[in-house]
Amino acid sequence: MSALSAHVLDEIKALPARYPQPRSAVMPALDLAQEELGHLTSEAMTEVAGALQLDPGYVQGVATFYTLFHLEPVGQHRFYMCTNLSCTLRGAEDIVEHLRGAIGVKAPGEVSGDGLFSYEEVECMGACEYAPMLRLDHRYHYDLTREKIDHLVAERRSPRADAVSESGPEKPKRAPRRRAPKQDG
Amino acid sequence: MAEQRGTVGGPVLTAWFATPNLHTLDVYESLGGYAALRKVVTEMTAQQVIDEVKISGLRGRGGADFSTATKWSFVPKAHPGPKYIVVNADESEPGSAKDRYLMENSPHALIEGAAIAAFAIGGHQAWIYIRGEYDLPYELLRDAIAQAHEKGYLGEHPFGSDHPLDVRLYRGHGAYICGEETALLESLEGKRAQPRSRPPFPAVKGAWGMPTAVNNVETLSTVPWIIRHGGAEYAKRGTEKAKGTRMVTVSGDVRRPGNYEIEIGVTYRHIIEELAGGALPGRTLKVFWPGGSSAKVLPASMLDTSTDLDGLKALGTMGGSGGIIVMDDSHCMVKAAARLLRFYAHESCGKCTPCRVGTNWSVRTYERILANEGSEIELALLDRVSQGLQNGRCLCGLGDAAGWVIESTMRHFRDEYEEHCLHHACSVQGALAHA
Ligand code: SF4
Ligand code: FES
Repeated sequence: MSALSAHVLDEIKALPARYPQPRSAVMPALDLAQEELGHLTSEAMTEVAGALQLDPGYVQGVATFYTLFHLEPVGQHRFYMCTNLSCTLRGAEDIVEHLRGAIGVKAPGEVSGDGLFSYEEVECMGACEYAPMLRLDHRYHYDLTREKIDHLVAERRSPRADAVSESGPEKPKRAPRRRAPKQDG
Repeated sequence: MAEQRGTVGGPVLTAWFATPNLHTLDVYESLGGYAALRKVVTEMTAQQVIDEVKISGLRGRGGADFSTATKWSFVPKAHPGPKYIVVNADESEPGSAKDRYLMENSPHALIEGAAIAAFAIGGHQAWIYIRGEYDLPYELLRDAIAQAHEKGYLGEHPFGSDHPLDVRLYRGHGAYICGEETALLESLEGKRAQPRSRPPFPAVKGAWGMPTAVNNVETLSTVPWIIRHGGAEYAKRGTEKAKGTRMVTVSGDVRRPGNYEIEIGVTYRHIIEELAGGALPGRTLKVFWPGGSSAKVLPASMLDTSTDLDGLKALGTMGGSGGIIVMDDSHCMVKAAARLLRFYAHESCGKCTPCRVGTNWSVRTYERILANEGSEIELALLDRVSQGLQNGRCLCGLGDAAGWVIESTMRHFRDEYEEHCLHHACSVQGALAHA
């Protein structure tokens, strides 16, 4: 059975036409695969390679280079916690420690028992004026405190887990996912 | 809605930022947006556009500080195939957040500027390579591009002209090295982002092998203003050698961190103490990085340094991407440097040995020092490694930047290094507990 569903593979096959050279489709294609599965499995990368007529090793080489591609299962909600200098100066380390406790994991990449959460320590995300900050569910969250972390976690544990608190100026809603992601763990 | 940090309604780039919903086409246009693109495609030649930008004195705001008009004129006019503008929106220099701020507030200014640039080089397509974490700016740009197409400002006949123009988006996926223009082009082509050796330069062989000019978000966002008001008007701002205004991001230990538009030539004291409110209560400023973590650090005694080129060059540092990181006396220099080295080691693309090995060696050296296992050997080692990383031994600027962190922090704060290495102590009582 194939890892990716037929309609995702069709979408991937249509991508190369959008670029001056078809190879540019590799990252958008991996995006689609990751969006469906939550992370990139070897089978998924092989299928992406097949759909784009590229060598599987090549596709894997691209996927391993960039930090936004996940090769291991991750939580349904991923905290990307900035620990670069501006955020560290304003207490990022304390926030990371608190976050670990709040979601019940010990190390970056570990998935919480309920499969809901994981976190990563990442480099500067270009919102240093709001330090300490993190990215969660495609949105930035600013001026973090322990209370804010608790709130973000509780919000996602509650039945209305789709109610994403927002930051930034008025914004359009993110396009709905094509299909609910499978839950890992 | 997040509180807006920094000047709202500055002289050029942020002139309209106080207006609500500037990200929508209607509001942008009601203030005069897209008048510049209309003028360019209906009344001007490509050369006239380049000439106007030349008069303005605009230089690249991504860090390289190279004349924008000259960069455009390097793209061969006679090339028969496609030519591209590639917008570097992969902002990831630690300390710098201005491009995000510009795109979130005024996505149409970037789209208009990118389209004008494409016209100026005789091309038809601009590609915005935006960092993958920038979800909100991505969505705003995507919608803004669609609006511009709907209105006929982009497309086959923008404003009824016969010069097709299109602006497209491409998402990065998390790699600092993509800020380097040739690494960015590799990534755009669907490869691992490793810098290319030059020549050939992108102007000759850039995106997908075609002539390409790579410009920064801030640079292109400035262009519509220049066309609307004239290059001479822009050149009245700034200093004789460094014209115009620029965005700076102030972060770290200040009362009002934020993005500010400044006239080039003001001092760092003005930015840090007046705009950003100075040190936190009860603290004294210790150091500042004038242009992102890759710029050599300066002690607070140098706050009167000017933001123009000469002021910074004289001190051997740079304004870079405009990210000003401020650190006060509660933080230890050795720990801060160790944190930055960890960043460079993580982001080294691995192509050149001095960078790949040097950054990792220094991380391990810092680890020993912070574990109180340092000695004279570690001090000497850091000196040596920092030299090995610098002075053109590496293919791109990352190696130099890592070397500068070590060298500049050791130069100004040798005493803190010695305290750690020789006495296994740290007299700085602060939050940067474990780097
Ligand atoms: S200096 Fe470092 S980041 Fe730059 S090309 Fe060499 S290895 Fe890659
Ligand atoms: S250092 Fe955290 S966002 Fe820049």
